[in-house]
Amino acid sequence: MSTILGVDVGGTFTDVVLRRPGVVPVTAKVLTTPADPVEGIVRGISSVLDRAGLEPGAVTELVHGTTLATNAVLQGTTAPVLLVTTAGFADLFVLGRSARVEDERFDLRHGDHRGGLGPVAIAEVVERIGANGEVVIALDAGPSAAAVAAAADHCGSSSIAVCLLHSWANPSHERRLGAELRAARPDLHVSLSTEVWPELREHDRASTTFLTAALAPSMSAYLDGLAAALADIGITAPLWVMDSAGGLIPPHVAAARPVLTVESGGSAGVRAVAELAGELGLPEAIAFDMGGTTAKVGVVIDGQVTITHDFQLGGKGSFGVPRAGTGLPIKGPVVDLCEISAGGGSAAWVDAAGSLHVGPRSAGAVPGPAAYGRGGTAPTVTDANVVLGVLAEGELSDQVTIDAGLARDAIDREVAGPLSLDTASAARAIRAIAIAKMAAAIGMMTVQRGIDPRRLPLVATGGAGAMHAAELAEQFGITTVVVPALAGVASALGLTSAPPSSEHVRSLPLSASEEHLPIALRIIADLTEAGSAALPVDDLVVSRSIDMRLRGQAHSIRVDLGPSSVEIDLPTVLERFADSYRNTYGVAPVGAAEFLTYRVRVATPARRFPAVHRDVPADRPRSTLRTMGTGEEAIVWSWESLPADFELVGPALVEGGDTTVHIPAQWTAAVTAAGHIVLRHATPA
Amino acid sequence: MEPDIVATEVIRAGLVAAAEEASFVVVKASHSTFIQEGADACAALLDLEGRLVAQSTATSLLHSASLRCTVPHLLARFPVESLSPGDVLASNDTYGGGIHANDILVVTPVFAEGRPVFFAGTVIHVADVGGAAAGGLASVATDIFQEGLQLPPVKLYEAGRPVDFVWEILGANSRLPDKVLGDVRALVAGASTLATRVGELCDKWGAETVTVVADRWLDYAERRVRQELTALPDGEWTGSFEIDTDGVTDRTYVVTVHASITGDRCTLDFSGTAAQAAGAINSSYSQSLSGAIFAFRCFIDPTIPMNEGSLRPLTVVFPEGSIVNPRRPAACGGRVVTVTAIIEATIGALAGARPELEVGASGLVHVFTLSGVERPWLALLYEFGGLGARTDGDGPDATGAYFFGGRSVVPQIEPIEASLPVRYESIRLIEGSGGAGRHRGGAGVEHVIEVLEPTVASVRGDRMTIPPAGRGGGEPGLGGSFAVRRADGRLEPLRTKQSGIALSAGDALVVRTSGGGGYGATGADR
Repeated sequence: MSTILGVDVGGTFTDVVLRRPGVVPVTAKVLTTPADPVEGIVRGISSVLDRAGLEPGAVTELVHGTTLATNAVLQGTTAPVLLVTTAGFADLFVLGRSARVEDERFDLRHGDHRGGLGPVAIAEVVERIGANGEVVIALDAGPSAAAVAAAADHCGSSSIAVCLLHSWANPSHERRLGAELRAARPDLHVSLSTEVWPELREHDRASTTFLTAALAPSMSAYLDGLAAALADIGITAPLWVMDSAGGLIPPHVAAARPVLTVESGGSAGVRAVAELAGELGLPEAIAFDMGGTTAKVGVVIDGQVTITHDFQLGGKGSFGVPRAGTGLPIKGPVVDLCEISAGGGSAAWVDAAGSLHVGPRSAGAVPGPAAYGRGGTAPTVTDANVVLGVLAEGELSDQVTIDAGLARDAIDREVAGPLSLDTASAARAIRAIAIAKMAAAIGMMTVQRGIDPRRLPLVATGGAGAMHAAELAEQFGITTVVVPALAGVASALGLTSAPPSSEHVRSLPLSASEEHLPIALRIIADLTEAGSAALPVDDLVVSRSIDMRLRGQAHSIRVDLGPSSVEIDLPTVLERFADSYRNTYGVAPVGAAEFLTYRVRVATPARRFPAVHRDVPADRPRSTLRTMGTGEEAIVWSWESLPADFELVGPALVEGGDTTVHIPAQWTAAVTAAGHIVLRHATPA
Repeated sequence: MEPDIVATEVIRAGLVAAAEEASFVVVKASHSTFIQEGADACAALLDLEGRLVAQSTATSLLHSASLRCTVPHLLARFPVESLSPGDVLASNDTYGGGIHANDILVVTPVFAEGRPVFFAGTVIHVADVGGAAAGGLASVATDIFQEGLQLPPVKLYEAGRPVDFVWEILGANSRLPDKVLGDVRALVAGASTLATRVGELCDKWGAETVTVVADRWLDYAERRVRQELTALPDGEWTGSFEIDTDGVTDRTYVVTVHASITGDRCTLDFSGTAAQAAGAINSSYSQSLSGAIFAFRCFIDPTIPMNEGSLRPLTVVFPEGSIVNPRRPAACGGRVVTVTAIIEATIGALAGARPELEVGASGLVHVFTLSGVERPWLALLYEFGGLGARTDGDGPDATGAYFFGGRSVVPQIEPIEASLPVRYESIRLIEGSGGAGRHRGGAGVEHVIEVLEPTVASVRGDRMTIPPAGRGGGEPGLGGSFAVRRADGRLEPLRTKQSGIALSAGDALVVRTSGGGGYGATGADR
C-alpha cells in the first residue's frame, strides 16, 4: 500500500503527515530545529510512524517542503558567487533595478534596494551574441575559462554564475565556457543561465542564475544530509522536494536549481486547497490563510495552483504583491501569492488626527495579543475577537490562556477611549478594518486578474482564517466557505497530493502569424519532449502556454493553449489572447500580436486520496451557549463531536483543531464525512 | 446616513484600492516601456468641485496636481449637468491644467443614483502626438505648437459611444498611431475601472454616505498635515537651483523659493524665479505644483493621504510669466528640468526646518530617443544620474532624481535589441563621478549604443555644464555629457538639449549622466 510522508519545515514548527489510502492521516507538529532542520524532521517522522504502528521500511515516498532557499538568502548564508558577464556589462547586475516604491519615494535618505545584495564579484569575458542569435564577437573559450577560474580563486568564490547577453537566443558561448570550466575545475560549482532559465531579459536571468549558484552548494549538501539521515532510520523511499509552483521535483533538480523552491511552503498551502477543493468537487477556490502576523491569498483554477513568472525575492509593494525592481527577480514558476500584514497579532492604533488603523505593526508571537497576558499591551485583531466572543476565554493551548479582561482593557485604552466608542463597537471596527485589508488582497488576486470571485469558494486555513472567512466572503458576494479538517497541518497535507512536475521555457520573439505559428508549435513540441525526458511516466498532463503581447508593449500575458492532444490554429490562439487580454486589462486588444516566450509544464496526474470518514464519538454533538460581544446569542459547537452531515445555523461557532470557525447570522454550515465544515450563505431565493 | 467608524474606514479603504487598481490597469495596458516598468501612470478620484479625494500612490507622483487642475477646465467646456454616464472627457492643454502635449488626461463622471457624484481621472505620457521630434522629445522647441497636437477639452466617448473623429485626429497626428491610440485606450480603461469601483461603493453604502466620508477624509488629512507643521520649527528659509540652459539660448535660469513655516501653515513662494524661457524647459502651473507638493511631502509623514485636504495648509506662489508658471504659448516639453529644480530648491529651503534631511544635489534623468529614418520605429530611453550624498551616508548610484521611481524604468537590453535596430556596446558606472565629501555622491553611468541603420536621435539632459552641487562643504559631482561616436571613431560632442541628430549605421550615441553632489567637507570624520 502506498504510504506517503509529507514533511513541511516552517520557521517555528515542522509538520509531518503520514498518509495512506483509506486511513485517517496521522500528523505530528514538532519544533523546528533551525541549526539542523533534519533533527526535527527525524523526530516528527519517528512520532508519526510510532503512532501509526508502521516500520520505516513501509514508507513508499517522502515529500519535503523546505524554506532553506529563502532562509539562506535572508540570513546571508549563501555561497560566495562570481558572476560572469559579457564584456562591457559588468556593472549592470549590481546597478540593478532599484525601484523606490510608495512611501519610500518621499524618503530623502532612502538607500538602494538591490534585494539586500551586498558586494558582488564580477568577471567579464570578451564575446557578444546579437538578438537574432548571431555571433558578433566570437568567444575564445579556453583562455576565457582560465581567466574566470583565476578570478574566482582571487575573490574566494566557490560558485560561478554565467549569464551572457542573448544566451536565450544562442546558448553556444555559455555552453562552451561552462564545459571548459567544469572540465578544468571540477571543484567549482558552475550555473549557466541557459541551463537555469533561458528566458529573454538579461537582468532577470542573471539574478535567477546568480541565486542558483549562491544556493546550489548548500541545497545540495542539505538534501544529501537528509537522505543519509533518513537511510539511518531505515527510510530509503524516493524523496521529492516541493517546488514553488505546487509540483514535486527530484532532489538532484532541487540541488541544481534551488531557486525553483523559494516558495516551497507557500505553494504547498495552496496545493492543499487545490486537493480539498477537488475532494469537494470544486474546480476553483480562493486559498485564504491567516496566521499571527500575515494573511496570504492564492487562487486555484481548474484544480491547479495559479502561478506567476514575475517573482521578486525580498520584494515589496502595496496590497502584498511585490513590485518589479524591489527585490531580486526569480524567473521560473512561483505560486501567485499575495501576502499582507493582517494577522491575529496585527495591532490596532489611533493616529493623532483620530483615524483607526490595523497593522502593519504586529504584536507577533512575543509578547502577543494583550489577551495572552504575556506582556502585550497593544490591542490586536485577536483581542477584538475575544471581546466579541468569537474567541473563547480560557485555555487556548498548553502555553496560552486567554484573558478577556486584558483584551477589553487594551481596546478601551487604545481605541474605544480615544474614539469615544463603546468596547464592542471598537472591537467591531478593528475586525472590519482587518477584513477590509484582506478584501483588498483578495481583490488583487481575483478582480485585478480578471477572475470573478463570486463563483469561487473561499477556503480558510491558518489559526485565524476561519474566524474571518464568512464576513470576508460577504464582501464579494461569495456564498461558500470551506474550513478543512486538519487545517493546522494543511501545507504538509498538500505535499502528499502534489504531482511530480517539470517546467521548460524558451524565448523567441515572432509575430503571431500563420507563417510563424508552426515555428511556435515546433518549439512547444521540443519543450514537451524535454519535459517527457525529465519526467518519464505514461500519463503526463501537459500544459502549454505562450507569453503574448501587442507589438510595442513591454509586458506580455500568458495565453494557455490547452492540452497537447488538441490541435490549435491561429484564430483560436488569437481569440484566447484576446480573452486573456480583456480579463487582464479590461479592454480589447487592438493591433498586431506577438509571440515572445513559450512554456511547457508537465506533471503526473495529481495523487488522489479518497475522502476518509472520520471517527466521531457516538454521543450527542456537544454545545454550549455564548453571548457574543454584539449581544446576540451563539451556539458554540465542539468540532470533534460533530458527525457527518450535521447541519449548523448561524450565529454559531465551532471550536476545535487549532482554530475557531465563525458562522455569522445568515449563514448555515454542514459537516462532511471527512470532518470539513462547509459554510453557505443563505441567499434569498 | 451618518457614516459610522466601520463605514468610514471601509469606504476609505475601498476608494484607495480603487484608485490603485485603476492606475495598474493603465500601467499594464499601456504601450510604453517607461510607463510599464516605472509604473508611470496616475489615477485619481475627484469630487464634483474638482477636489482631489484619492490618488494612486503605488504609481507616478509626477502628475499629482494635474488632474485636479484640469477638471475645472473640462467642466468649463462640458458643464457637469450636461454629462451622461459613459461620457469620457480628455485634454492635454498645458495651459488648462495639463503638463505638456504628450501627457493626455482622461476623466469620466461617476454616476450613482442617477446623478454624477465624483470624477475618475487618469493620466500618462502617451507614445507620440506629433510635433517636431518623435516621442515628445522636441528638446529645442520654442512654443507648444512644435511639441505636438494640442487637444482642448474634448469627448472621447459620448454616452459610451466612441467619438470617432476625435480618435481619428489623435491617430492622424501621431508617428505611431497604433501606440498612441493603445495608450489612450489604456487611460480610458483605467478611468472606467475607477468609476466602476466607486460606483459599486456608492451602490452599497449610498452615494450620500460615500461623499460624506470623502469630505471628512479631506478634513482628516488637513488635520494630520497641520499637526506635522506645528511640530516643525517656525522659520523662513531660501533655496535656489540653477539650470544649465533652455536649449536655445546660452543663458542659465535660476529657480528661487522663499519657504516659511508659521504655526500650522507653510508657504512656498517662488517669486524671484527666472522669467519664462525661450526654450522648452518651462514648467506649467500644474506641473510646478506637483513638484512643490512632492518636495513638501518629503518633510512630513508620508502616510498622510494625498488629497485636497492635505494641501490646504500649504500656500504656493508661482509668479506668472516665469519658468514655473509660463504664459501661453511657451514650450513646456522639457519641464522635467525645471520641476526637479523646484524640488531641489524646496528641499534645500525646508531642510532649514529639518537639517538632518540636507542632501547634495542629484544628477538628472537623461532622456534620449532613437527613431527610424527608413521605417517608423522609436526607442524612448532613460538613464539616471547619481543621487546626492546625505548627512548620514553616500548617495546611491544612478537612481536620481527624486520623485521618480528609481532605476526600474531603464529598459533591459535584450528586449530592446530584439525589437529595434540598435546594439549596446557597454553600460558602465563612471568611476569617481560622485562628488567627494564626508559622504560621497552617487555615481553617474555611461551608455554606448550603436545604431544598425540610419537613425535620428534626440537628447535632453541638464545639470551637465553646472554639475550637481554638494552640500555642507561637499564637492559637486562630475557633470555628464552627450556625444556621437562616428563609425570612424571620431567623437562629436552634443549639446545638453538637441534634436534631429543624424546617425548612420555604425555610429554610436554616448550618454554619460552626472554624479551626485557630496556632503560635508572631505577629511572630516565619517
